[in-house]
Amino acid sequence: MAATSSAHSRPLSQPQFEDLSLDMKTFAPLLIILAVLGIAVGSVWYLTRPPEVTPTTPAASQSPQQARPANSPGATPARAAANQGVPGAEPPHTLGPANAPVHIEEFGDFQCPPCGVFHPILEQMEAEFGNNLRVTYRQFPLVPAHRHALVAASASEAAGLQGKFWQMHKLIFDNQLKWKDEFDVRPVFEGYAKQIGLDIARYNRDLTGDVVAQRIFQDGKRAHSLGVGGTPTVFMNGREVPFQSLAAEKLRVLIQNELRAGK
Amino acid sequence: MWRPGAAFLSKRVIEYQSGARPPHSKDGTLAIGNRQLAIYVTAAILSLIGLADALYLTVQHVTGQTLQCTIISGCSEVLSSRYAEMAGVPLAAIGAAAYFSVFSLATLAAFGYRIAGTLLTLLVAAMFLVSLWLIYLQAFVIRQFCQYCLLSAAITVGLLVTALMARRFRSV
Repeated sequence: MAATSSAHSRPLSQPQFEDLSLDMKTFAPLLIILAVLGIAVGSVWYLTRPPEVTPTTPAASQSPQQARPANSPGATPARAAANQGVPGAEPPHTLGPANAPVHIEEFGDFQCPPCGVFHPILEQMEAEFGNNLRVTYRQFPLVPAHRHALVAASASEAAGLQGKFWQMHKLIFDNQLKWKDEFDVRPVFEGYAKQIGLDIARYNRDLTGDVVAQRIFQDGKRAHSLGVGGTPTVFMNGREVPFQSLAAEKLRVLIQNELRAGK
Repeated sequence: MWRPGAAFLSKRVIEYQSGARPPHSKDGTLAIGNRQLAIYVTAAILSLIGLADALYLTVQHVTGQTLQCTIISGCSEVLSSRYAEMAGVPLAAIGAAAYFSVFSLATLAAFGYRIAGTLLTLLVAAMFLVSLWLIYLQAFVIRQFCQYCLLSAAITVGLLVTALMARRFRSV
């Protein structure tokens, strides 16, 4: 008690207002600066929390170390009712059996750099999971931003009309860095079409034809109905996979979890 | 003693100009004019906008979302380019630190710490030069613009203007 009273009595021995303004001048800016620092650090912390916490992706809440055993409680329930969206182009371009337990649907843009990065990752997953994985590719060319994206999508769809969508898809993605800065990419894609043995006259007719345009349009409608705003956007069994989880090692764990949950 | 502008000045500055020892000069502070105060407050507000912008970009970078292509693109190319990091540190985080420093200095300057005003001018000048370099990179090397980066550059230009105005009005 004595200590506190002496502490309080000290300022009173000096001119009161002088002292108050000195304290204001010393502490007010520091308080303001610290408050801003706190808000900044807090908001960054809040926004960079691992997305796994969100209840819409229950499978993602398991890191490799704590992967749950099959049929443990909580492995399957609490699954958010997935927005099914309107159907896209029919039939879709798919790889893998229709009854595969894990279905990955990618909305992609051939000119988008991360889609180019994701392409070999998905190929790797197809090789690793074989008949357990079904992959669908949907066209979502980001037209004003990527000027060759629509031509690339059309080229792959035109190849698809001759049953060679996936070959064209692979060539376009594998060579993305080579053609992205070309002024006109149509000769490049025509070269790919020859390479995979397409009927070139038909390919060129289809490239600008209604069927190809309609298929891309239908995929776009599906993308919008699912709230897709960028590429690559990937859905696994109807639930969006956070972009951060599209690295091979993370995606593998998600697929494994999905397989366990489906058993 | 009344001169144009004196009405804006606090009693202490007038005391100072008339030869009286400025109060609290021992801690490096000096009462400042309202016009200068307004300039520093403007600088602080501008830097807060810049801070929010840079933090947004940092968060995007850390969570990997800058890599995703979106309908409003450009950022994807710019922010996923090799110029988006310096020695593994996202440039946006460095920008956030710079804006936070500007905010701190502007706040201190607004409370009369003279040295903060000087440092503020130096820091803002450096940020302006960095912004020029980044705009050059966007325009001629990456050949894509990113709105958030341009916003940051605009804020830095605004800060430069306020910092120069603060120096100008310091003599009043």
